[in-house]
Amino acid sequence: MISHMGELEMLSIEQVLALGIFALMFILIILDKVERHLVTLGAAALMIVVVFGICMQDGGAILRALNVTHFADRSFWIASEAETAVSTGINWETIIFISGMMIMVEGMGRAGFFKWLCMKIAALVKYRPIPLMIAFMLISFALAMFIDSITVILFLAAVTVELAQLLKLDPIPMILSEIFCANLGGSATMCGDPPNIIIGTALHYTFLDFITNTGLISVIGLGAVVIYFMLVYHKELIQEKVTEEDIKAMPSPQSVIRSRRDFYISTLIFLLAVILLITHAHTHLTVGFIGVMIAIITLLSVGKDMRLLLEEVDYKTLLFFTGLFVVVSGLEETGVLELVAMFIQNVSGGHHLAMIAIILWVSAIASAIIDNIPFAATMIPVIRTLSVSTGMDLSLLAWALALGTDIGGSATPIGASANVVGTSVSNKNGYPITWGKYCRTSIPATVIVIFIAMWILFWYSIS
Amino acid sequence: MDEQVIIAIGREFGSGGHEIGKELAERLKVSFYDRNLLDHMFIGAEDVKETMREYEEKLSHPLFSRRVRGHSNSLAETLAEMQFDFIRDKASDGESFVIIGRCAESVLRDNKNLITIFIRGDREIKAKRVEKIYELPERDVYSKMDRHDDQRKKYHNRYGTYKWGDSRGYDLCINSSKLGIEETIDLLEDYIEKRIEKMNGE
Repeated sequence: MISHMGELEMLSIEQVLALGIFALMFILIILDKVERHLVTLGAAALMIVVVFGICMQDGGAILRALNVTHFADRSFWIASEAETAVSTGINWETIIFISGMMIMVEGMGRAGFFKWLCMKIAALVKYRPIPLMIAFMLISFALAMFIDSITVILFLAAVTVELAQLLKLDPIPMILSEIFCANLGGSATMCGDPPNIIIGTALHYTFLDFITNTGLISVIGLGAVVIYFMLVYHKELIQEKVTEEDIKAMPSPQSVIRSRRDFYISTLIFLLAVILLITHAHTHLTVGFIGVMIAIITLLSVGKDMRLLLEEVDYKTLLFFTGLFVVVSGLEETGVLELVAMFIQNVSGGHHLAMIAIILWVSAIASAIIDNIPFAATMIPVIRTLSVSTGMDLSLLAWALALGTDIGGSATPIGASANVVGTSVSNKNGYPITWGKYCRTSIPATVIVIFIAMWILFWYSIS
Repeated sequence: MDEQVIIAIGREFGSGGHEIGKELAERLKVSFYDRNLLDHMFIGAEDVKETMREYEEKLSHPLFSRRVRGHSNSLAETLAEMQFDFIRDKASDGESFVIIGRCAESVLRDNKNLITIFIRGDREIKAKRVEKIYELPERDVYSKMDRHDDQRKKYHNRYGTYKWGDSRGYDLCINSSKLGIEETIDLLEDYIEKRIEKMNGE
């Protein structure tokens, strides 16, 4: 321990600079004064020029950080049977996959798919408050397994507010439960939440690996949170009465479909994406390939509206990822992340259960306060080093990291993007969600699910 | 009054800006908006008003707020935007009114019928006024004044075109301590009437 502390004290100049750039980037992201994609791109430029260029004078490190040659590899598009090569630097597969899904989701939103689904489900449960809340929790979870949680909550919270205004209900309990379930659903699959996509593509796990591990834990967690939210809000929900007149005044689900043709096509593309993702371990198609394919099909299906769809892609988020990956690669190339791994190893005493608990809880707490994407991206090389140095199964650490970052983000209004969007929609419609109101419900729910995840991961480790 | 007139008043805490604005609204027989803006925005929702009151004309701490694709979890920020929309709607409906704070001089800067005023005061005179109104011990008066002015400044500088109290952001800046509240009102009424005459003549 003492020797490692000594190593920590004797950081090289490039390590100090890499850490300084990383810390500056994180502070600027938190302060939110400069757009976050400009922050990560600026930090990436600094990392390349100052750390790789001036200090290390290592052109190879720059190429590895930019990772542009990865496109030419066959493994970028079609995975080989035993993929073990570890790619560092910009995770283009993540960026391409997210771009493809953004285009698909935009197409679905334009066709009216999400609103139709929400209205259809509300009609199926006859707009009764308790079944409505449970149904929206389940649909939030299910959609977030395949679609980014921001989109899921954007539509779900908007429909919830609309229903609440028509039915004279309080939408806040429903929105809070939907946010939680969107984050939980995101943790279930490889494509549900950005940290999972980054973990999956960087460490070569498949959709099935995720769904059989984090997916199982998330479903158990979902059962627990449905019970929890019912216990917390059942008194308020029982008091709310929906009259026949209210129900008659509701718009029909079909009325929200903008174009039947676009609706059916976008639904088919979505189903195709789900099938391709579920089977990608067998077809060996990488998520990058799936992303490109889905994007091309969606763009071809919308014809002349192609340009409009492309304009709606959130390029800032994609640039944010690009810069972030370069900064993390700076920490990796300079050996800073190895020191972090050694530190965790020392604190845990090399005990596997302690390492799982540390990764899970530290990820959860950090993600409740800071953006979980930079955190997850930074921790991937750390858990890889930990696994090599302790002989621990890397997948257990990967699941701990994925679950910690995805679920921990639910605890506070700023922990995850879905929380920000959900509270914003509620606030804008005159249903204020304060920090206190949010945390009173969501922190206990987060702690419950993290405990469930911890015990199941312990069980995985022992068995 | 033929033409619409909107009077946006910025003010230092204790300068009497609120009282001056209210009296001007009464003399001009127009609506008066201050904290009561929330009553107009959230009709019948008492609990919402109570919650929102805590976030009015304030800024969120950067550590407690985050922005994602144009959405912010900050109640203070959302409320500010909602108030700006409300003020814009009132102005575009042709209503005449006096409004206190809320960056109205920046929000409505394109309205040709806007008159913007900033009211300040001498520190000691303001302190005496605050001491009397809030029945505070002297030691608490200055900290209260500084706290409120600091909040107003930060809020204004976040959303306003010019910095809070910067004379370039207002048509008229006045020290209410020199003439006293009543005479300041008279002077401002005079100024506003002349401006209205000019507006009607154009």
